[in-house]
Amino acid sequence: MLESRDLLIITNNNRVLEKYQSIHTIEFHDETYLEVLVAVRNKIHQNYKLLTHPMAGSLKPNQTPFKSVILMETELTDYNSLMLIENAIESANKFLKFKSLPKWSENCIYDFKTLDLSFVEGAITNKSLNPCYQVI
Amino acid sequence: MKLELGKIKITDVQFGAETKVENGTLYVNQEEITNMVLEDKRLIKAEVDLARPGESVRIAPVKDVIEPRVKVSGEGKIFPGVINKVKTVGEGRTHALVGANVITCGKIVGFQEGLIDMSGPTAKYTPFSKTNNVCVVIEGKEGIETHEYEEAGRLAGLKVATYIGEAGRNVEPDEVVVYETKPLLEQANMYPELPKIGYVHMLQSQGLLHDTYYYGVDAKVMVPTIMYPTEIMDGAIVSGNCVAPCDKVTTFHHLNNPVITDMYARHGKTLNFMGVILTNENVWLMDKERSSDMTAKLCKQMGLDGVIITEEGYGNPDTDLMMNCQKISKAGVDVVLITDEFPGRDGKSQSVADTVPEANALVSCGNGNIIEHFPPMDKVIGTLDYIETMIGGYEGSLKEDGSIEAEIQIIIASTIANGYNKLAAKGY
Repeated sequence: MLESRDLLIITNNNRVLEKYQSIHTIEFHDETYLEVLVAVRNKIHQNYKLLTHPMAGSLKPNQTPFKSVILMETELTDYNSLMLIENAIESANKFLKFKSLPKWSENCIYDFKTLDLSFVEGAITNKSLNPCYQVI
Repeated sequence: MKLELGKIKITDVQFGAETKVENGTLYVNQEEITNMVLEDKRLIKAEVDLARPGESVRIAPVKDVIEPRVKVSGEGKIFPGVINKVKTVGEGRTHALVGANVITCGKIVGFQEGLIDMSGPTAKYTPFSKTNNVCVVIEGKEGIETHEYEEAGRLAGLKVATYIGEAGRNVEPDEVVVYETKPLLEQANMYPELPKIGYVHMLQSQGLLHDTYYYGVDAKVMVPTIMYPTEIMDGAIVSGNCVAPCDKVTTFHHLNNPVITDMYARHGKTLNFMGVILTNENVWLMDKERSSDMTAKLCKQMGLDGVIITEEGYGNPDTDLMMNCQKISKAGVDVVLITDEFPGRDGKSQSVADTVPEANALVSCGNGNIIEHFPPMDKVIGTLDYIETMIGGYEGSLKEDGSIEAEIQIIIASTIANGYNKLAAKGY
């Protein structure tokens, strides 16, 4: 039976950490958006699979500094997850090549964290931990 | 369902003592609008300004654009479940003030984005440079939580559009267009020799500033469903999406969905337009599986020969687009996609974030990465404070003289992925 701790959130958003650290497992990286995606890819190679899409939100990788992705452990490498994360990394590199992240004000940083948090909340809300929810 | 859409052509907008339409001019009572918006105590400012085609005016940052409409007869009222009581709409008669729009602007978040130039070389990229706009610049109270402010802003625009729409109730329209879709079996039997075509309309549903509402229901918690095409014309779908200006589907674009309009133009001639399937673009991967499975199932169940699919957004929604494309194709239904592209400024990078082998018929709405020069405008409605941090802008974008150099993805609806624009792409 899936436990709430079985949900792993990889994130660089401390608001996600604060909200969910007592409920789910958090791997917090105080690093860049791209580095979070790479950490997610590493996890997928260790047989974790994606539960949320790594490119959630219309904010481009050269706009928002924050990224949170939800995964869970499985027995085998999930190739669909690998494909999604490789696409996400390639897309991030494409955008960052043309324009780098602006130096955001404190208010903007807070707003980006709010949006990233809302993607996680929207995904997790009302999701039971019934095993059926993991099967993709 | 049969809807008569009465189009009242608006050619000018002015402030007046009474909100009314007279000889093609829309008059609006500035004070009534301000008071109405400020009834919501979450907002502390609501400045109303006007912007007309050809004026040297820049509007930024834009939240939503809404065409004023009013239901003259038939069940329900405009924006059911959001502004008016929930009731199924799409029948009877509705009047639209065509050529007028309500535009909400003001920051919801620090990087709030999207601009509209009413004249100059970049006006051509947005349809709103050609409409007479009632701009409502809003500001939230100190410390207001972002979700609250977003909702207040969204409702403000819809309220004002509903109020202004009333001015069209007793005006004789310049043109009446009749749209009709019969119940499925009747519709199929009406043109048995024509291909049965449906429209899969994907609604943005990822979270804050990325939401869409169907009869007031957040698309995030919907499962795919069937809609009569005329329901959208009465505001059954409203936008809560105000990120990524170039391909954000404003409420105007829902009301005036170009795929629906164009399908009706061909209905009974080259195709049998069977109806619309609504689906969403969630972040949770299992939701994507469920939604794409169900969408494919509905296409098959409706007996469709082919569908057009449109999406809203980039990245995560591209995965939904491709899942829908693949599953619908495998169900034996032909698929054509309409979407915009982000292949970089040289056009050489991968255009969409995801792809499947079945995606072999696609109509492009243009490249959002192209750089344009925006000359300075005499007047700014809203503020230019956020230009450099808007999607498409960058450090040094905003020059001292007020001109801007930025990617066209900074312009509202420039590459909108449902095709309501004039950009395209060619293969060589």
